[in-house]
Amino acid sequence: MEHKKFSKLELLKLSLKYSKLNLKCTLEYKFDRFFTTLAVFVREMVSIAVMYLILTRVISIKGWQMNEMFFLYSFLFLSYCIFIFLFTGIRDFDNMVYTGELDRYLIRPLGLLYQVISARVDYCATIGHGAVGVILFLSTYNSVGIDWNFRNIVYYILALLGGVIIQTSLFMVSSCFSFWAVRTTNLRNLIFFNSRRFAGYPISFYPGIVQKMLIFAVPFAFVSYFPSEYFLHKPDLSVFWHGCLYLTPVVGIIMFTLVYIFWRLGLKSYSSSGNSMY
Amino acid sequence: MSLIEVRDLTKDYRLNVKKRGLLGAVQSLLVPEYKLKRAVDNINFSIEKGEMVGFIGPNGAGKSTTVKMLTGILSPTSGSIMMGGLSPHKDRKKNASRIGAVFGQRTQLWWDLPVADTYDLLRYIYRIPEKKFEQNMEMFNDLLGIQEFMSQPVRQLSLGQRMRADIAAALLHDPEIVFFDEPTIGLDVVAKEKIREFIKKINAEKNTTMLFTTHDMLDIEKTCKRMIIIDQGTIIYNGTVEQIKERYGRSRTLVAEFAQKLDRIDLPAGVELIDQKDNKKYLKFNRDEIQVSGLIAELTSKYNILDLTVTEPEVEAIIREIYEGGIDFDKGISGDSKKSLSEQYCVPC
Amino acid sequence: MYRVDYFAGVINTLVMIFVNIAIWKAIYEADDNLGGVQLKVVMTYIALAFLMQCIFVMEDYFIESKVTSGLISSDLLKPISFRAYVFSYNVGSSVFRVLMQLLPTLVISIFLFKLLPPFSTEMGILFFFSAVLGYLVLYCLNFIVWMSSFWFYYTFSLVTIKDALVMVLSGALIPLWFLPQWLFNFVKLTPFESIFFTPISIYLGQVPAADIKTAIIKQVAWIVVLALAGHLLWNAAKHKLVLQGG
Repeated sequence: MEHKKFSKLELLKLSLKYSKLNLKCTLEYKFDRFFTTLAVFVREMVSIAVMYLILTRVISIKGWQMNEMFFLYSFLFLSYCIFIFLFTGIRDFDNMVYTGELDRYLIRPLGLLYQVISARVDYCATIGHGAVGVILFLSTYNSVGIDWNFRNIVYYILALLGGVIIQTSLFMVSSCFSFWAVRTTNLRNLIFFNSRRFAGYPISFYPGIVQKMLIFAVPFAFVSYFPSEYFLHKPDLSVFWHGCLYLTPVVGIIMFTLVYIFWRLGLKSYSSSGNSMY
Repeated sequence: MSLIEVRDLTKDYRLNVKKRGLLGAVQSLLVPEYKLKRAVDNINFSIEKGEMVGFIGPNGAGKSTTVKMLTGILSPTSGSIMMGGLSPHKDRKKNASRIGAVFGQRTQLWWDLPVADTYDLLRYIYRIPEKKFEQNMEMFNDLLGIQEFMSQPVRQLSLGQRMRADIAAALLHDPEIVFFDEPTIGLDVVAKEKIREFIKKINAEKNTTMLFTTHDMLDIEKTCKRMIIIDQGTIIYNGTVEQIKERYGRSRTLVAEFAQKLDRIDLPAGVELIDQKDNKKYLKFNRDEIQVSGLIAELTSKYNILDLTVTEPEVEAIIREIYEGGIDFDKGISGDSKKSLSEQYCVPC
Repeated sequence: MYRVDYFAGVINTLVMIFVNIAIWKAIYEADDNLGGVQLKVVMTYIALAFLMQCIFVMEDYFIESKVTSGLISSDLLKPISFRAYVFSYNVGSSVFRVLMQLLPTLVISIFLFKLLPPFSTEMGILFFFSAVLGYLVLYCLNFIVWMSSFWFYYTFSLVTIKDALVMVLSGALIPLWFLPQWLFNFVKLTPFESIFFTPISIYLGQVPAADIKTAIIKQVAWIVVLALAGHLLWNAAKHKLVLQGG
């Protein structure tokens, strides 16, 4: 059979096909998947509940009120929900290497990254995290004093997508290690989910070292803090450079570019060593 | 030119040398030390279009590494592979649309969905024209009877059904070359036979080139004309299945049933009693040294014999003997001489 | 790889304490005597809660894996009681954590976070005693959830929801005295309070000497009630297993 390059439209159609099959799989076990989704939702609500309990007691922390903090927190959940919906395969990549699914992808006439991304959708996590994000957003977007004009809506969308790419890159770094048969999943989950929990509070609450970590190492500050400061203009922003408000998409693109180079390197190494000796 | 041309193919793996103790761990982290392991050592072979070739060798001989290079998963360290003018690794995507693969131990079917869903997805992945898709489905159904379990989730299929479905999935896009890795593993005799028949039929009908790696010698005996034996990274045999029997299956066993139970019998030199049961005695000899007719004549002249059968060894027994070093290989036959495995230490600067 | 996980565990606990203390410091900026509790007390509370959490880890899917793989039937035939086996397995790994994770983390925490000493020596001893009871309450509660694997194929959802409730209601993340009164009153009726809140409150001297006895009796009572419930479930599960023939 003659091989032509796949067109964008064909790839999109194929992705939809994959999502449909994934949905069908999820619906195979409706009962179980419903409770899994519920469990994810409840688990993620823990930090929200703690925040709620504290703020019903003290009204505001460093000038931040409950609705403002929830608005900030909604960025984390919404962008994570989009990330999982689009890129579940990047989260599960080490398993694909381990089970040999990766080898199967390599003997198909499609790009590897495309297949990794398309092949899986974790609907339970998408909805579980998404529901928390939607609830937080809907209960605050009106009350935190944002004028939802065109400019702000465009900024919001760009910031959200930037946040998606930043989180994608963070997960992909850990995936790359799988090419060298180094499993980093536990470590990654620890770093990722704890950092995300910290980033649920304004970073100005933390000592300098934690702030720097959330800006430079695991840049969740650009996922939640700076985008919400763009809208809220709290006084504690003054210690940070103002340009940070607009950097989210830039940080995302830079991170992804670097990670993608790392990915290519990993793939090259994989094709020269494989996942096992024989 | 042949469809598959493999020239001077070599593959080295870099193995991390792990040091013991905490200090060693830090040291291997900072200055990693590698050991080179040669998995495939300068092999050459070619395969013609429509051939069915068996790839065999003990575990760790390098056959999976070779297959992984042929499919484009691994890149060669040196040497070249040409598959119909393409390099499997460099032109991975282009090459991939012309090959198919069946891994007996791993399914490519969606576990929780009916088989039909996977086929539908593969239709998109390989861009199979509607008409061809339907023709193939019909053909596979005739030969494999997949229709009867089409709408059942894969997890509910029996191993035999799953394997049939998997083979159909790999052949759906009419690949020119198909790799079979343990295609009958775990199946019962009847199911095995059914699958072998099907594979042969496809080969005859579509002139598909097929490569097998399996531990089941019967798979190879029943489907392949040619086989390539790899051991320690080199090809030690490349020729027909018949020829290996001819050359190396020199021993014969004569089973003789005597009229009464004999405690001992006189045997000519070169004949060995290997087993006995009731009145039967199993006598092994080399057909080059001893003539069967002579032996039989001698025995019947001395004893009262009711029944006689002569058996030749199965290929499996010959191969086992080769692995164990029991057969001294005639190197001229495959053209490749066996080299010693080179292992070097090197520390990157 | 285990070594990495082990160090990661120690560092994780330290970072969690550090960051949570930072949040409480920010909260205390406006009012340095929130509800009559000093910041120092809350800081110690948070540190103790996270230190205890790193030991109160149990193997949530141990029984599930035995049930789904069918190994449970052969385990039941072994001369040692299956429940004793599960219990000692969990206690064993907790003891290991005390030595390998808690001790180093504790030593670093004392220097890093300037933890308050126990309110008195007596309270210190009672804290230790009460913490062991807290562990048992959590174990008995977990055992009930684990038993559900005999009826449901996967217990991920139940285990996760249980974890979430324990986190919020047992005082693992927030001192219960900051809860709204109605919720606090409710939690007092549940076993959750006995897991983290009771021992830590005793350590901090937040429980009046006269009430300590009641608090500890309450812990013991919960252990008895939950263990009994677990026992009934266990009998039902065994019965179910016999009916199905393994």
